[in-house]
Amino acid sequence: MIEFENVTKVYPNGTLALDGVDLKINDGEFVFIVGSSGAGKSTLMKLLLREEKVTSGTIKVDEFDLSCMSNYKVPYYRRQLGVVFQDFRLFQNKTVFENISFVMRAIGETNSRIRKRVPAILNIVGLQDKMKCYPRELSGGEQQRVALARALANNPGIIIADEPTGNLDPELSFDMMNLLRRINRSKNKTVVVITHEKNLVDHFQERVIRLEDGKMVEDRVGGMFE
Amino acid sequence: MRRYSIMYFISQSIKGLWRNGVMTLASIIVLMSCLVIMGSFSLIVMNLNTNLDSLGDMNEIVAFIDPEKSAEEVDSIRKAVEKYDNIKNLEFISPEEALEQEKQKYEGEYSYFFEGITSDIYPATLVITYQDNAKVETLKYDLEHTEGIYKVTCHADIAETLETVKTGIIYIFVWFLAVLFVVSVFVIINTIKLAVFGRRQEISVMRYVGATNWFIMLPFILEGVWIGLLSSGIAYFIEMSIYKFIAGVVATDYQMFTLVPFGTVQLPILLSFIGIGVVTGIIGSSISLRKNLKA
Ligand SMILES: Nc1ncnc2c1ncn2[C@@H]1O[C@H](COP(=O)(O)OP(=O)(O)OP(=O)(O)O)[C@@H](O)[C@H]1O
Ligand SMILES: [Mg+2]
Repeated sequence: MIEFENVTKVYPNGTLALDGVDLKINDGEFVFIVGSSGAGKSTLMKLLLREEKVTSGTIKVDEFDLSCMSNYKVPYYRRQLGVVFQDFRLFQNKTVFENISFVMRAIGETNSRIRKRVPAILNIVGLQDKMKCYPRELSGGEQQRVALARALANNPGIIIADEPTGNLDPELSFDMMNLLRRINRSKNKTVVVITHEKNLVDHFQERVIRLEDGKMVEDRVGGMFE
Repeated sequence: MRRYSIMYFISQSIKGLWRNGVMTLASIIVLMSCLVIMGSFSLIVMNLNTNLDSLGDMNEIVAFIDPEKSAEEVDSIRKAVEKYDNIKNLEFISPEEALEQEKQKYEGEYSYFFEGITSDIYPATLVITYQDNAKVETLKYDLEHTEGIYKVTCHADIAETLETVKTGIIYIFVWFLAVLFVVSVFVIINTIKLAVFGRRQEISVMRYVGATNWFIMLPFILEGVWIGLLSSGIAYFIEMSIYKFIAGVVATDYQMFTLVPFGTVQLPILLSFIGIGVVTGIIGSSISLRKNLKA
């Protein structure tokens, strides 16, 4: 469960990015976060990742209280989360297999576990045949699926995606969103998707949270994005 | 820590060294020079110390006898002094001998200078070498208070000169070394910074998936350790070669000087090289990682 209580974020330069946000996302929910540019969507994600600290208010994720978490605990907290970025952030000099094994090794998984798990995850995103390819040998849609596989590798309960379809054409965007929702449904993972794409939000009819100028102005189920 | 992750850290850190080979090389050269200079300096001081003891033998005191004294009086003074404590050897130089010595010294160009000069202007002297350096002041006091001796000089005090030289060397080298170590740490800081920069994308992804600071930092710390180990190894071999070469020269051309055999110092040198090298490497990499250790 993700719980924001009266969360305010002011950046050191004085920008008020989030202003008194109250928000609750239950386990296994699928949520779109929408809003115009500069509304505070990425800030919300950075707070959730504990890349930034709240200025005031509290954020709780499962048993973790982010507002008073000591630094040494942050890595263990982050293992609850899988992140997908608009620009994929894959290692160009590593194969698909290595890109995924890298994040498993980073939290101390054994080689034997890695060898078993990577093909299984690639299977979920439909890329079991591309294991030995380098990112440049894949299409944008495939690269984003590798990024999603990488986010799933350590089996986090929550997937956060910041504009995951921002660099994909409409059809691939649709596939990507479908995949995210399938993972939400079949693996019972909480999925939070930040997006600009009205037609996608409208199509999927999920919960939509709208931010404007750092404030939460809308929270409802069923799309109809403006 | 499990074995596979030890292998992971080792391979990561070695890859890192290769990736910025030029900086690695620079770090190794600077740290190695530092160690060689430090080692040479310690060896010089060590050898000065052992040789200082034997150089004590060369110390001498010269006592000048009042020229007014007659030959018999001079002879009795000499007999009296011979009985003093701490005397190893006593040599009497008469005015005539003194003149002869001076003439020989300035033979040739300045020999006209001695024309018409008689031995009268030279006092008779007693040149005394003593046994115990520590008791030299007592001996000097006794001589100064001997009837018929008007002046006493502690002549050619080589030990004291060397003692001063040694202090000077220590002083210069300590400063020099301090500067060199700062330079070494600085170069290592920059090497590791570059290594971190080269892997910033990997580090960023590792952070997002929840790798601990230690997991992220250890390969870089290990890079510092390798730099330290390589530097100390190379420095050891250079030091050994230099020392053996010098020992060879000394053995043939400067036999009065005895060198400590390399065998008796090799272990302390190797261990302190490794210790200092590794600690410097770790300090350098830790400083450059300090900023990154925040979450
Ligand atoms: N590191 C930062 N320092 C200062 N101000 C920042 C920082 N990051 C974001 N901001 C500001 O905070 C506000 C919210 O930014 P944020 O990135 O959350 O918007 P967003 O909703 O993600 O926009 P977009 O849709 O364009 O990605 C903006 O005014 C932005 O300029
Ligand atoms: Mg954004």
